[in-house]
Amino acid sequence: MKLMKFAALAAALVFGASEASAQDYPFRDITTAVVWGAGGGTDTINRMIMAEMEKHLPVSVSVINQTGGVAGSNGMVYVFNQPDDGYTLVGLSESNVTAAVQGGWDQKFSVWYPFIVGGSPDLISVPADSPYNTLEELIEAAKAAPGTIPAGASGSGSIHHLNLLALENGSEVTFKFIPYKGSAPSQEAALTGEVQLVVTSLAEQQPLIAGGKLRPLAMLTPDDATLGDTTIPTAFTAYPDLANYLPLKQAIGFAVHASAPANAKAVLTEAFEKAMASPTVAEWAKTNFYDLSGASGDEASAIFATLESTFAWTLWDLETAKVDPAELSIAKP
Amino acid sequence: MDVLAPLLGFFDSLLMLLSEPETYLYLVASVFLGIVFGALPGLTATLAVTILTGFFGNKVPIEQSLIALLGAYVGAIYGGSFPSILLNIPGTAASAATAMDGHPLTKQGLGGRAIGITTTASFFGTLFGTLCLLSFSGLLLAIAQNIASPEKALLALFGILLSGALMSSDLVIKGWIAGMIGLGMAMVGLDPILSEARFTFDWAYLLSGFQVVPVLMGAFAVPQIIEGLVAGRMIAAAPKIGRITPSAGEVVARSGTVMRSSAIGVGVGALPGVGEDVAGWVSYGVGKSVSKDGARFGKGSLSGLLSAETANNAAIGGAMIPLLVLGIPGSPPAAALLGALKINNIVPGPTIDPSLIHHVVAILVLASAAMLLMGLALARLFIRILTLSPTLFLPVVMALTTIGSFSVGGGVNDLFLMIIVGLVAFVMGKMAYPIAPLVIGVILGGLFDETFRRTLLLSDGELSVFFSRPGALLLLVLNVGLVFSQIGPVKNSLKRLT
Repeated sequence: MKLMKFAALAAALVFGASEASAQDYPFRDITTAVVWGAGGGTDTINRMIMAEMEKHLPVSVSVINQTGGVAGSNGMVYVFNQPDDGYTLVGLSESNVTAAVQGGWDQKFSVWYPFIVGGSPDLISVPADSPYNTLEELIEAAKAAPGTIPAGASGSGSIHHLNLLALENGSEVTFKFIPYKGSAPSQEAALTGEVQLVVTSLAEQQPLIAGGKLRPLAMLTPDDATLGDTTIPTAFTAYPDLANYLPLKQAIGFAVHASAPANAKAVLTEAFEKAMASPTVAEWAKTNFYDLSGASGDEASAIFATLESTFAWTLWDLETAKVDPAELSIAKP
Repeated sequence: MDVLAPLLGFFDSLLMLLSEPETYLYLVASVFLGIVFGALPGLTATLAVTILTGFFGNKVPIEQSLIALLGAYVGAIYGGSFPSILLNIPGTAASAATAMDGHPLTKQGLGGRAIGITTTASFFGTLFGTLCLLSFSGLLLAIAQNIASPEKALLALFGILLSGALMSSDLVIKGWIAGMIGLGMAMVGLDPILSEARFTFDWAYLLSGFQVVPVLMGAFAVPQIIEGLVAGRMIAAAPKIGRITPSAGEVVARSGTVMRSSAIGVGVGALPGVGEDVAGWVSYGVGKSVSKDGARFGKGSLSGLLSAETANNAAIGGAMIPLLVLGIPGSPPAAALLGALKINNIVPGPTIDPSLIHHVVAILVLASAAMLLMGLALARLFIRILTLSPTLFLPVVMALTTIGSFSVGGGVNDLFLMIIVGLVAFVMGKMAYPIAPLVIGVILGGLFDETFRRTLLLSDGELSVFFSRPGALLLLVLNVGLVFSQIGPVKNSLKRLT
């Protein structure tokens, strides 16, 4: 009897407490662990959006970096092991969907409830002193000498690598792929002439294009882009087959545990939507050439599920994946 | 007019900064914070800048938060020299070369003088680097753009071989063995080209390889703490605090060393992906071979101390050049700065507003002045550490070291790594193997691996690319020359020549 009473009291305490904390969310500060390093796109976007969201939350949000592992697995493992109470968020991007097939951890991306801020479209550029003035000239040269023109992009399985692969498939050529640790080193390699073309995002390339160091050849998206006075044509006009493989766009944002309390998700969603609607974010996106998304919850999960399936099976076909995507029950695209 | 324009812009920014009362507050607080971060073993300049970036975000105008970020950067690179000199435990990787001559000076009771010289050297180094940022950024960029993968690979290898040759107390081969162990450790984890797991034994922790900070702390701090506790007293002679501010004569007499080391520091700093740590070692190595008292390097030479410490601070200005002019950070703390600029809607690169460069230069000049004053004031306080009882003090150092190793985010495994490396380093020390080349191997091994293999990927496996590029050929000759100079007959004939 005594035991029963105790159990009931304990239950009341536990459930009562969790009820109260659920109602009060957020009653203490929130931490966002970004899985990529300081200065990169995901880090910058998270610091920017968290500063905006803070204005619509009664608590502060501190942003830290938890880098390393495979495809950002260290940071994801760290956040995943924290309580699923909505107080620890993970700052991530589309490239993290490969962590499972690359052996970094053993979870599907569906363990997250994501929020997508946006992404910047990819394009192909050559150094300013390159002999190639158009994408057609470059493709012709590559057809004449398959597998010899060095092409830089960040490492195997990154969004930029997948865009390069899609370009090769869509225009039926092969380049000599030279992987780099990120977009900045691959662009630096294009400036030194080590590679003859580079695939990164418009956000990453625009200062170098505007400064006359890189010459943009084509957007790897269906629409032309405008950068100051220059119009960068879409590659789809010259190579309509690209539509079978592209566009593959960045999805940068953050996520909370999928198992987090519903009201925590609701509070975060509200703050996220208010932040996304603010003029600060709009101006930031315009200056930095990002397309804003604003997707969250089911909509964002669907986007990430598609990315996960595309990335995982592409890597499996390239034989760089360590784990069979079928074993993780990732559907074929 | 073209020559004067940047100078006028700089003075304009400087006057504007000096007229704002907030400047002084930001400057003093951030330089102090930087020095503390640098002086605490394992906490790095990158961490100081990252934390401040998080703290300021886009909440205050970038003109003000830049004061704090750059102040902390300058302070941290300098602050690492305190524990290097006094305890032989480098506060950051950038100040590892500083310990080579700084600590022997402390052992001779000249710790105060060493700190005074270091402070002045850091001041001149920062100023020189900053002036290069103002005047020669175009030229330095042109040079840096000729340094591609083959040159970087040979530069990294040269750094490892050089540290092995410099640090050995008896046989040079022992230094190289230590360097090769470090190089081997750098191979653990996912390879940088194909993302294949190497030497990981299916253990997820090893996939990201060995982090530099736990290795650095294990290699330098753990043996030092064991030695200190065994001896039961500080390894230094009773410190004579005495005069800390160096006389003008002492500095003027070594102006050649200061100029040379500054130039090396700026050059190395301007290379993307290579930072203050490498600058210190390269300058120390060059100093040892060209300096008149090169033979005394490692035994408490003031020129040796100047070579290392001037260069690592000069590298700050160098690292800012590719950051501001190309948008490519020249060192890890510069990468954190890039993030801070981007959050505030500033896109560094060829289209950057020149007034921002002038503003950065003005801040760096003020930060170096603040560092000089605070350094000289703090030196008296820091040197008192040597009068503390080691049984009280060393456990505190051990705790701080542990926190530093944990701060890189690899979890508890990083602490085991620190202890294992520490015990190995202790044993190696007993057998008169130098430990610094092992650490340099871990720091530079990743760079060597990546750039060497990328070179071969680009050339389809042709090694001739190392001969056909002039920069690569020069570096190859240096590498081969360094190895051959240690072979018996060659060594003897060299000796006969001199």
